[in-house]
Amino acid sequence: MKSPKINKDNCGCSIEDLLNENIEKDETRLCSASTNDIEVFVDPDVEKVSYQFYMKKQTDGLPIIPPTGERVRKFIEFSGLNKNDLIAVLSPRSGKATVEKIAINSVMAGCIPQFMPVILQAIKAISHEKFNLPGVNATTHPVAICTILNGPIANEIGINSGAGCLGPGNIANATIGRAIRLCLINIAGAIPGIGDHATLGSPSKYSFCFGEAEDENPWGSLHVERGFSENESTVTMMALDSPHNVNDHRSKTAEDIMDTIINTASVAGCNNSHVPGEMLIIMSPEHAKTIADDGWSKEDVKKYFHENALVPARLADRGGRKLDSKWIHEGNVPITRKPDDVVIVVAGGPGRHTMIAHGFGSGSQSVTVSF
Amino acid sequence: MRVNVVAKDVMDPLGESAAAKIEITAIPPKINKITYFDNTKPNADIILNTIKENLKIDSIDAQKPAGAPATKEQIEKAKKGDLVILALGDCGSCTTWVILDAIRLEKKGIPTISICSHKFVEYAHSLAKAQGAENLRIVEINHPIAGLKEDEVKLKSEEIIPSIKKLIDTN
Repeated sequence: MKSPKINKDNCGCSIEDLLNENIEKDETRLCSASTNDIEVFVDPDVEKVSYQFYMKKQTDGLPIIPPTGERVRKFIEFSGLNKNDLIAVLSPRSGKATVEKIAINSVMAGCIPQFMPVILQAIKAISHEKFNLPGVNATTHPVAICTILNGPIANEIGINSGAGCLGPGNIANATIGRAIRLCLINIAGAIPGIGDHATLGSPSKYSFCFGEAEDENPWGSLHVERGFSENESTVTMMALDSPHNVNDHRSKTAEDIMDTIINTASVAGCNNSHVPGEMLIIMSPEHAKTIADDGWSKEDVKKYFHENALVPARLADRGGRKLDSKWIHEGNVPITRKPDDVVIVVAGGPGRHTMIAHGFGSGSQSVTVSF
Repeated sequence: MRVNVVAKDVMDPLGESAAAKIEITAIPPKINKITYFDNTKPNADIILNTIKENLKIDSIDAQKPAGAPATKEQIEKAKKGDLVILALGDCGSCTTWVILDAIRLEKKGIPTISICSHKFVEYAHSLAKAQGAENLRIVEINHPIAGLKEDEVKLKSEEIIPSIKKLIDTN
């Protein structure tokens, strides 16, 4: 029998050494450094675990990565927090969102550990009272939760803020929003038909996460507008309908582009038309440049939108609840309560498109938190 | 050679509940005033008015938002009744805030009866339970309510009056 090779690089327990031993003749332990000569970790059957989780209503329907202790540990370690630290209590089920539970759901979503700080802050943000998570989760309205990243973290984790940033193809965009959704399902209890009562749901509930293209924003980015410094990283959470495209290749002035956006946004049947509230405008760099080059500030854009995005009261009153007469002015209802309800970010690649997303009316207020 | 085979178990993604138990307030034997807490969902006012006409007890009319919490002022106004009847939970967010506002009132020692449609009553009970208020009084009305004519809503409302009277008389 060969002597076990024990040195600083190799304690003698490597599989090659063990395979060369004649263990039939001598069962003397090979290495005193461990209670076992070799420890074999068997990864769970991915398809089986994924299906078992699905059958227990613990997924969004897509396959998951099995949340093994080892995988979850890496996420907790990256967070720098203790596994039992309580980040938030999520409604409607009053589930405790501990670092460990968030890590488990993030592993399942296909995240990498480096996304943990974003997900933890996002969970903290949606638990804020003004976000109204109980209503957002349970409503029949197809409201999804949108995650917008600003500051250095966006580059550090390689989030897409350019071409196709609301679509597929980038791990951060795809899995951060998904991790938040799995936390909502498994911690908050927002299981479709059980705690999430969306009549039709929304494809945006699968992820809906992107970064702002700050270098393309002629006015200053969202987090700076909300009082944070350019070098601070923030996550902004908004409860929104799926975004709707505004195609305008022909307008050459700020007013013309804004009128196209306003006409696309001023519709009855959205939540904002009977309970005015926030509205997200994701403006393409080309639209933003045309508007800014025309001399309009971001405040001008917000003010113009707020004053002109109106729905006739007779149509607005068909919404989900009785229209409060305080919103009616000269027969119309504004879809925002004030200019600051118009939330503007610049994102996307080349092309003359903007996207708009109505909010959950006055039922939810966006929250921005820094890291 | 000793070989230890370790199957890597998967971890449980479900969050534990943080809710503490909430005691439901008894309805007093003598009720001087009932608050009818209308969340302005279509036809909620017809349900509440039908109950009011039948019970013939002095009343306070209060309103609250459907998909969001009642303001502190709205809760304060509702609290002036010896009993609060809330309507209507016939969708996800409105059911949520009928139940959560009822629980807010119960915590302040005001007894409540919440009215939810039968499509959402199971959720209403599970939500109340998740919040620690398993015994919250929830009365079921036949779904749908919205989109109906006044007579149809009145008819459905009259069907639930015996349940409401029973809850009041039991106490």
